[in-house]
Amino acid sequence: MIRQFVWNIFLVLAGLLLFAPVVIFGLYGFSTRYFYPQLIPSYWSATTFLRQLTDARTRQALILSLEIGTVVSCLSLLVGYPAARTLGMRPFRGKSVVYMLLFVPTVVPPVATGIGLNILFLRTGLAGTVLGVALVHLVPVLPYVVFTLSSVFARYDPHYEYQALVLGASRVQVFWTVTLPLIFPGIVVATLFAFLISWSQYLLTFLIGGGQVITLPILLFSTVSGGNPQATAVLSLIFVAPVVVILIATSRYLATDRVHGQSGITL
Amino acid sequence: MTRVVLDRLHKSFPTQPTPVLAGLSLDVHSGELVALLGPSGSGKSTVLKIITGIEQPDSGDVRLGEQSLLHVPPHQRGAVLMFQKAYLFPFLNVADNIGFGLKLRGASKQQMRSEVGRMLELVELPGIERKFPGQLSGGQQQRVALARALVVEPRVLLLDEPLSSLDTAIRHTLQETIRRVQRELDITTLLVTHDLQEAIAMSDRTALLLDGMIEAIDRPEALFQRPPTQAAARFMGISTFVTGQVEGAQLLAPWGALQVAGDGERPHAATFAIRPEHLRLLDASAPNAVPGALQDVVYNGEFTLYRVAIGADDVRIKAYQAVPHQPVGTPVYVQFPPEHLFEVLV
Repeated sequence: MIRQFVWNIFLVLAGLLLFAPVVIFGLYGFSTRYFYPQLIPSYWSATTFLRQLTDARTRQALILSLEIGTVVSCLSLLVGYPAARTLGMRPFRGKSVVYMLLFVPTVVPPVATGIGLNILFLRTGLAGTVLGVALVHLVPVLPYVVFTLSSVFARYDPHYEYQALVLGASRVQVFWTVTLPLIFPGIVVATLFAFLISWSQYLLTFLIGGGQVITLPILLFSTVSGGNPQATAVLSLIFVAPVVVILIATSRYLATDRVHGQSGITL
Repeated sequence: MTRVVLDRLHKSFPTQPTPVLAGLSLDVHSGELVALLGPSGSGKSTVLKIITGIEQPDSGDVRLGEQSLLHVPPHQRGAVLMFQKAYLFPFLNVADNIGFGLKLRGASKQQMRSEVGRMLELVELPGIERKFPGQLSGGQQQRVALARALVVEPRVLLLDEPLSSLDTAIRHTLQETIRRVQRELDITTLLVTHDLQEAIAMSDRTALLLDGMIEAIDRPEALFQRPPTQAAARFMGISTFVTGQVEGAQLLAPWGALQVAGDGERPHAATFAIRPEHLRLLDASAPNAVPGALQDVVYNGEFTLYRVAIGADDVRIKAYQAVPHQPVGTPVYVQFPPEHLFEVLV
C-alpha cells in the first residue's frame, strides 16, 4: 500500500517535471502580453506561433535538422550493424575492451572531442559543411546504436538464417527476408536513438558547423540569448514536436519485440 | 535419385583439442535413410552442417551424385536441413513458412497455394495455413518444418535430432510420419540422433559415429545383435565382455572354459560379447554356466535387471521373465548360451 502510494507520487512528480516545460511553452507561445503575476495569459493569440513557423530561417533550420538526423541514422546503422552483429554473436578475445572503447565517447566531454575533431575537419575541408556535422554526430550516436543492436544480436539465433539458406535463399535474400524482419524492432529502436541524439546535438554542431550549419538547436540557442520568451517558447515547441510524434509512432517497438517477447531495450 | 558420398572428412575447431571429424567416410545410397548415431559432441551435427555448406571441412570431399559440393554455395546445394527446433519464421504464417522456398524460386500464387495444401496433407495437418507458429504445439511446428523442407523437393534431406525436444508419444508418431513421407517421396535422408531406439526404428542402415569416424555401419538389427567392435557393442547396450584364448569351440576365460559357436579356428586371443537379454540367471549349475554371487536386483517393469559378480567382474542380466525373488549375496549361476556369444574387435 505505502509503496504503491510513494510510487504514484513519484510518477506524478516525474510527469510534472516532463510536461511542465511543454505547458509553459504552450502558454508563452500562444499568447501576447503575458506577464507576472498572471497565472494564465489574458490575451491568446497564434500570431507569434504562425510567424515563427513561416519564418524562412526556422523552416530552413527545421529541414536541415531533419536531413542531418536522417543521414546520421542511416550512416550509423550502416556502420553499426556489422559491428553490433560481431560483438553480439561472436566470442572473441578482448571483447570487453572493445565495448569499453565504444563507451568512451559517451563519457568524454564533447568539447574535447569537438575541438580535437575541429582541427582535423578544418584540414580535410569538412568543417562548416553539412556532411562534416553529420559525421561528427556519429561520435555520440554510434555507441547507442551499437549497444542497442548488439543486445539484439546477443539473443539472436542464427539458425533462422541457416534455415533460409538451405531452403534456397542467397545471403542477400536471407538478410532481407529473415534477418531484417527478425531484428526490425531493434532497428527501429536504434534508429530512434540515432535520430534523437543527432536532433538534440548543439555543441558538436556548433564546433564543427562553425556558425555556417544552422540546425534547429543552434537557432534555438541564438533565440534564447535574444531574450524573447515568446519566440523561444514557439521554437522550443517546434523542436519538441517531431520527437513526440516519432516516440508515439514507435512506442510499440519500445515496449516489446516480436522475436523474444521481451523488452526491446536491454542495455 | 541422389547418392550422398562423404569422403575422408576432417574438421577441427580451434576451441577443441581433438578433431571433431577424423577422416569420416560414408556412402548414403539413393532413397535410403541412414541414421548417424553417436554420443553428444561426437560431431554428428557438424557432418550435416558440412553437407549444407554452413561449415567447411578442413579436408575431404562431399559429393551429391557425381558432383562435388564443396564449391557450391549453400543455397544452391539442394540439401535441406531440419533442426531440433522447428525455426519457423515467427513473422510468417504457416502457408508463407511452407511457401518460403517456393517463393524464392519464383512460384506463382496458385502454385504455392496448391503445393502448401498438398504438403499439409502429407504431414497430416490440413487446414492450418493461416495460423502463426506461436499458435502451434512443438510437434505441429516440426510437422510444418518438415513440410517446409520437403516442398522444395530437396536432393537430400538432413535431419538434426528433429524429434529430441518432443514428448515420447508425439516423438513416436512423428518418427512414423517422417519414415512414411521419406519412403513415399523416395528421398535420400541422413538422420542424426543420439537415441538408439530412434536410429534403429527409423533407418535402413545405422552408422555409429565415435571419435570422428564411422565405428560401424549396418542394418539396424545386425548392428544391434552383432556389433563388430567392442566400442560399438558398448553403445548398443552390451556390458558383458569375456576375454580369453579361443581353442576350437572353446573360450578359455579367467573363470573357466566356455563353449562358443564356431570351430576349427586356429587358436588366438579374443574378446567375446553377449547381449544382457541373452544371459540366463539360474539357481543350479547347467551347461556353459558360471557360478557367481547376486549383487543387485532392479525391477524395471518390462524387465528385471540383475547384477552378478563373477570373480572380479560384474555381469548384467536383463530378464524379461522375473526369476523368483532372491536376497542379495545368494550364490547363482549365469548361463552363456553359445549361439549368442560373438567375437568383437577391441
